[in-house]
Amino acid sequence: MSRLTRRTFLGASGSVLALAAMGRPAFAQTAEIRHFWWGNPERDRRTFEVIDIFNGKHPDINVTGETLGFGDYFTKLTTQIAGGNMPDVIQQGYGVLFEYIANGAIVPLDDYVGKTLDISKMDQSAIDAGTVDGKFYALSIGANSHMAMYNSRLFEEAGIVPGEDFDPYGYTYDELAEFAAAVKEATGVAGTDDNTADYQNFSDFVVQKGAMLFNEDGSYGPNQEIVEEYWATWEKIRNAGGTPPGPESAGLAGVSELSQMGVVTGKTAMTYLWSNQLVGVQSLMQDTLGAAMYPNTPDMVPGSIVQPSQFVCLTRDSANPEAATTYMSAFVNDLDMTKVLGLERGIPSQSDVRAALQPDLTDVEARSVEFFDKIQGKTAVLPPPPPSGSNEVEQTFERLAVNVLLGERPIPDVASDFLNQTRAILARA
Amino acid sequence: MSASTMPAQTTADIAHAYRQERAKRAKRSAVLKHIFLILTSLVMIYPLIWMFAASLKPDNQIFGDLGLWPSEFQWENYSEGWNALPVSFTTFFWNSTVVTVLSVLGNVISCSFAAYAFARLEFSGKTIWFALMMMTLMIPYHVVLIPQYILFLNLGWVDSYLPLIVPKFLAGDAFFIFLMIQFFRQLPRELDEAAMIDGCSPFKIYWAIIMPLSLPAMATAAIFSFIWTWEDFLGPLVYLNDMKDYTVPLALRSFISTDGVSQYGPMFAMSILSILPILLFFIIFQRLIIRGIAMSGLK
Amino acid sequence: MQKFFRRNFAGYAFLSPWLVGFFLLAIGPILASLYLSFTKYNVVRPPQWLGLDHYVHMFQYDQRFWKALQVTFQFVVISVPLKLIFALGVAMALDKGIRAIGWYRALFYLPSILGGSIAVAILWRQLFNYDGVINLILRLFGAEGPYWLADPKYSLWTLIVLAIWQFGSPMLIFLAGLRAIPQELYEAAEIDAAGPVKKFFAITVPLLAPVIFFNLVLQMIEAFKSFSGAFIISGGSGAPLDSLLFFTVYLYNEAFSFLRMGYASALAWVLLLIIALFTAIAFWTSKYWVHYENERG
Repeated sequence: MSRLTRRTFLGASGSVLALAAMGRPAFAQTAEIRHFWWGNPERDRRTFEVIDIFNGKHPDINVTGETLGFGDYFTKLTTQIAGGNMPDVIQQGYGVLFEYIANGAIVPLDDYVGKTLDISKMDQSAIDAGTVDGKFYALSIGANSHMAMYNSRLFEEAGIVPGEDFDPYGYTYDELAEFAAAVKEATGVAGTDDNTADYQNFSDFVVQKGAMLFNEDGSYGPNQEIVEEYWATWEKIRNAGGTPPGPESAGLAGVSELSQMGVVTGKTAMTYLWSNQLVGVQSLMQDTLGAAMYPNTPDMVPGSIVQPSQFVCLTRDSANPEAATTYMSAFVNDLDMTKVLGLERGIPSQSDVRAALQPDLTDVEARSVEFFDKIQGKTAVLPPPPPSGSNEVEQTFERLAVNVLLGERPIPDVASDFLNQTRAILARA
Repeated sequence: MSASTMPAQTTADIAHAYRQERAKRAKRSAVLKHIFLILTSLVMIYPLIWMFAASLKPDNQIFGDLGLWPSEFQWENYSEGWNALPVSFTTFFWNSTVVTVLSVLGNVISCSFAAYAFARLEFSGKTIWFALMMMTLMIPYHVVLIPQYILFLNLGWVDSYLPLIVPKFLAGDAFFIFLMIQFFRQLPRELDEAAMIDGCSPFKIYWAIIMPLSLPAMATAAIFSFIWTWEDFLGPLVYLNDMKDYTVPLALRSFISTDGVSQYGPMFAMSILSILPILLFFIIFQRLIIRGIAMSGLK
Repeated sequence: MQKFFRRNFAGYAFLSPWLVGFFLLAIGPILASLYLSFTKYNVVRPPQWLGLDHYVHMFQYDQRFWKALQVTFQFVVISVPLKLIFALGVAMALDKGIRAIGWYRALFYLPSILGGSIAVAILWRQLFNYDGVINLILRLFGAEGPYWLADPKYSLWTLIVLAIWQFGSPMLIFLAGLRAIPQELYEAAEIDAAGPVKKFFAITVPLLAPVIFFNLVLQMIEAFKSFSGAFIISGGSGAPLDSLLFFTVYLYNEAFSFLRMGYASALAWVLLLIIALFTAIAFWTSKYWVHYENERG
């Protein structure tokens, strides 16, 4: 329907438009496929180019692209779900993917695998990540992992040499406390962000402690002890002088704007994000960023996971799933197309594609590829998909942790409060 | 001190002294006013200056360095920003202009109709309609977003400008109705009554008496209507799918990314440009607010 | 019957565009949201009837609901009067007799144009940071400023300042209202030796009352529904510690982050009733202080 109404502007009344839309033959010659993603100018340009390439190669399919910024993407998607008007192919992140699968907005791809959809060269880990209850739902278009990004100049000024004074791929919270304080001492800039209110770091810590964020039965994994210990660990780093003052960090709890991150504003020398954000953060800074894993406990149990940064998924509302999956397949396999896409969405999960991209990497892209090579074998296994409500648990954590940062309530109180509220959220979800 | 306490003078003298006194006082207060206004203006304009400075910096200097003065002037942000997205800003500005101009027309015409009915005409059920109209102002728009989307989807209007424009011609914004009601009610009733005796129809009264005398109110409504439509992004966000149809605010939001390279400099450059039409419209139409006084001298 | 028709015809004719819009476009979605407030609706599956469950949960168990109410009330009560006073003050200063007056007006309207843009969010963080401009100024006077953004005791004030700073629209309406006051009245008062205070209370206030009333009602409604400032500055969540959890921010999160559209609709209707109550009170009191030209004599 969209093609017919798109360019029509006030020329016809609504009912005429509706009639025109209904009048379209069901067996149209060209299959109309809508692809919707969240992006940025660079990604938009590349993706539209890829759509042109695909349309050129497939005269029977006409893909149209729709794009918005991340902040608006899910608002619009929610509206479209309610209207039964979702685009055929949508982009999804790992965090909310499972809610969309659970409520049926996204449909399984198994019927198309081996026919219109080729996943023979996909990494098994990527396929597993998109599989729920034995059904394959989501096609990974880029791998991702937790990454700490540090300001190399400030580290250098403080005489901290990565690889000597600390191992970026295996350092402890105690070491972090030490070198963060050293950076502060030497440069006046706090050595690290304070992650007290950072749920991603917390989720790593839980796994490092041998627990899981969510147990197999969907109940919450961390106990009182783990939550308390996590906050106590960061309190120690804070007290050693390695972080900005607690209230300063509290003001940033829950803020995800890259421009407000400590390394970008120059308030800290190390910020904790995702590997696919390295390029974006680097573009906002003059100093060069180095990449490290998140800190660990002395036992060095792996806590971070490698997970798809983004998927493409087929929606319930697609009228032509064969054509849609043909496009999805090309999106991850067609070397002409993947060459244009590059690493913009993360490291591709298809081996041929990776090999073909290798020669053309920019400096900062090469840094993230190197990071991925180095963390091989140091990551944890993929946990079972988080249950509904996990999103809300994360927000609750960020909210309550501010109590700790402000020093207003004792850690054990806040921890038990958090676990109680989490139980209530999961019970309601 | 005042003129009326000097009984010996003639009326002309009194008037003269009064005018002199008034001129002196006016001058003193004008200076004070300017000082107050300039100081306040500085506070008001600072963010714009900051934005303008940011629009001239390379991305990697906007956030680390808080100084206003760019170390180098990157005017390319403007040309790059204009063409940064797959569709150029020429299209976005044109789309915004079309939607905004039609919305202003729609709002001023249809809302003044409704306001005239409420303020000057008698009909049964008026209080109930008025209450219902006020209710449409009170409902948080986020919860009607989805039902409204489904409605427009069923009308076949999604992916066109119709959902953005048609409601404006159907007096969809109660704010303007209420605003105009308040101004219409200030006009003397005798005007209508005299016109009625002369045999004027209600439409004639609306058109020949109420509207001309309400120029300041109409200009105010036009200004708000222009600004709010120009800046609206929630409507375009939900109803427009094709980037070629995007309006300026929607396009501006495509610059920022949490998982890729954002383009802040070009985004700020385009933000600055997107303010210019608003300022232009504002400067032109606020004159009508002043001119209104000459008109109201008629009464 | 014919008499009835004739008596009502003109009114309904002029009201017809609004009536069409109301019945075709407005009332359906509003009633739908009322219906949804009695259902469990996650957007994907059809709504399931729950009855009053959402309302019971809200009033009995939902602490964030009460928190959101408290934050919103505080915001309304403090920001609306301050904003109106400020807007009226500037409007009177800008009313007449000043060179380049159009430019001043435009300048003063600027903050309202920037609205809830990302530039404002970034700027507000810079101003109110611990080592930001505001605290720098305080330090000049020997005072040590707090952590404005992080401390729940102060964070709401940053938004109140933001709201007041964006005083453009009530200012403009006041300006238009001041223009409608006949100049002769002031001149007559001056001959009677009335001072500026007397003139203000004897002429400006009574004649501007309809406009003051309009601004009061509308600013109150807008403040109750205030969203974008709190949303962008708190990163969408109402942080720190829910001190910026405006009612609509809470509602938005329930609707679009957690897909509880039914519950969000129930929240919306509670807010609607609250706003309606306060608006009704305002209308009731207006009988005593707002007098319209067309009601006199």
